[in-house]
Amino acid sequence: MIRNRWLLFVFRLVVGGVFIWAGALKAADPLGFAQTIKNYRAFPHDLVFIIAIVLPWVEVLSGAGLIAGVLKKSSALIAAVLLAGFIILVGSALLRGIDTACGCFGSVSRRADWGLMLMDAVLLLMAVNVFVAAGPKRPLASGRSTPL
Amino acid sequence: MRLKRLVVGVLTIVVLSAVLGGAFHVSLVRRFFAGEFRDSFVDAGRYPGIIFITRSEVEDLLFRGQAVPVDSRTPDEYAAGHIPGALNVPLASSDQALADLAARYPPGQCLVVYCEGGDCQTSTALARLIHDRGFHDIRVYQGGWTDWASAGLPAEASK
Repeated sequence: MIRNRWLLFVFRLVVGGVFIWAGALKAADPLGFAQTIKNYRAFPHDLVFIIAIVLPWVEVLSGAGLIAGVLKKSSALIAAVLLAGFIILVGSALLRGIDTACGCFGSVSRRADWGLMLMDAVLLLMAVNVFVAAGPKRPLASGRSTPL
Repeated sequence: MRLKRLVVGVLTIVVLSAVLGGAFHVSLVRRFFAGEFRDSFVDAGRYPGIIFITRSEVEDLLFRGQAVPVDSRTPDEYAAGHIPGALNVPLASSDQALADLAARYPPGQCLVVYCEGGDCQTSTALARLIHDRGFHDIRVYQGGWTDWASAGLPAEASK
């Protein structure tokens, strides 16, 4: 577990930045995102629409929370759960022989493949690290600096 | 206490996201609950050139030579069997194939896009991409390859 505060800050910037960028692109075209989710053939039609309307904003807000340090632990948890979900979704699509774009970045998405799962896994490790390290602030009396 | 703060934080983000999503896309939400987007998530206002058709309409168009079939499945699936004369434009790696399509046919060319059939959705997604390339007469064959093959209609294989 990495506890270096600068590295943790970099993790927050990377995961938060990716989430804000991905969420904003999806929010700009919710129907396109809905179609992409439907391509995975994993959710009922009505649920797909709700996911397409809400999920982009969950990504934007949790990304912003990670970068700003507001609701940091909750944001890191959401990011980690979403990334784990993306990995499972892409993995199941690959195992079922579904060949599609991932939908991660709206219309500029890449193919849903093993490389994408690896990228998501790296981001997941960063998010989990931030979540675990984001404990309560140490008392100032200890004389040590508080983590970011 | 820490767990409670964590849960409250998560709920805050999710509820706020639902409110923002609903507020930013209020017209889409209204249209959805009014019954639109029940078959596909294609906005007829934004994609007026995309029409969903049945097998008999596909047969009419293709046998009269009025349309070019476009197969959105993977190269392996396409090679195993496809509608005669179909071009393979796999959705996941469509950039070059779309550029070739645009170079080969005028924007007014009628295209029939299909995928495996059943609940496959890549034909609809590909139809949107083709529409974005300037084509404005795109028909999506919802029955797809499964429907075509099960009807015993002519097929071609590349292998």
